[in-house]
Amino acid sequence: MSGFNHEVILCIVNNGFSETVMEAAKDAGARGGTILNARGTANKEAESFFHIAIQPEKEIVMILVDAKIKDAVLHALYQKAGLDTMGQGIAFSIPVENVVGLTPWKTEPKEGDKAAEKKAD
Amino acid sequence: MAESKRTGIARRFYGKADGRSRVSMNRLKILVTIVNRAKADFYMDHIQSFGVNMQMVVFGHGTAPREIATAMGLADSERAVVFSVIGENHLRAALDSLAEKFNTIAGGKGIAYTIPMSSIIGKSIFNFLSDNRDAVRRNEK
Repeated sequence: MSGFNHEVILCIVNNGFSETVMEAAKDAGARGGTILNARGTANKEAESFFHIAIQPEKEIVMILVDAKIKDAVLHALYQKAGLDTMGQGIAFSIPVENVVGLTPWKTEPKEGDKAAEKKAD
Repeated sequence: MAESKRTGIARRFYGKADGRSRVSMNRLKILVTIVNRAKADFYMDHIQSFGVNMQMVVFGHGTAPREIATAMGLADSERAVVFSVIGENHLRAALDSLAEKFNTIAGGKGIAYTIPMSSIIGKSIFNFLSDNRDAVRRNEK
């Protein structure tokens, strides 16, 4: 329960790209996430100088993952929804402690174990 | 004079001579609780009873696939993310109670975790966030 065994990954993407983020994250082993609507701000002068339009409507995808798969998820997000893509995503992770309420997530590996046992049989 | 007295208290309890304060007593954490939106007010009131003076709720929606969402007892995907600033002394009780509520309340399943806070500026704000009522009373005298 305590100790930094989990990380929460925050991925800030343009509106409508949260599904891309979740698909990428799920491929890397994440289970679920929470999407928050947000508004981004950018330097107006820099925007006109670089001729880049920054879409202010953003979505923040919050994904709680096991610290072991954090790097895989971050890499997946960088490739599928990174700054070079349409999603213009930024992703980072924060170590978290004292995670409670994750019990249903633990049942699935057990099922996998059962399947492995059956195969062994 | 009152100012110097107050600073004295601050140094004795929270300050260090090198200018970098180290809080050894009752560190603060951010308790993040993700629950069904309909249960947000209930959980906020409940968390408040653990010496929490500041909470913030953000509404979002979940992305768990239907089967998992139903298994977790989350029929609709509308979620509330509650950020609460909580002192370490209340943390264990709050988490145990939350875990119990997650497992017992119908439709009240959720996830909670904490993020340690590394710095905070302002003594009165620290006292407010850690519900340090005695310190405020001392200063008023």
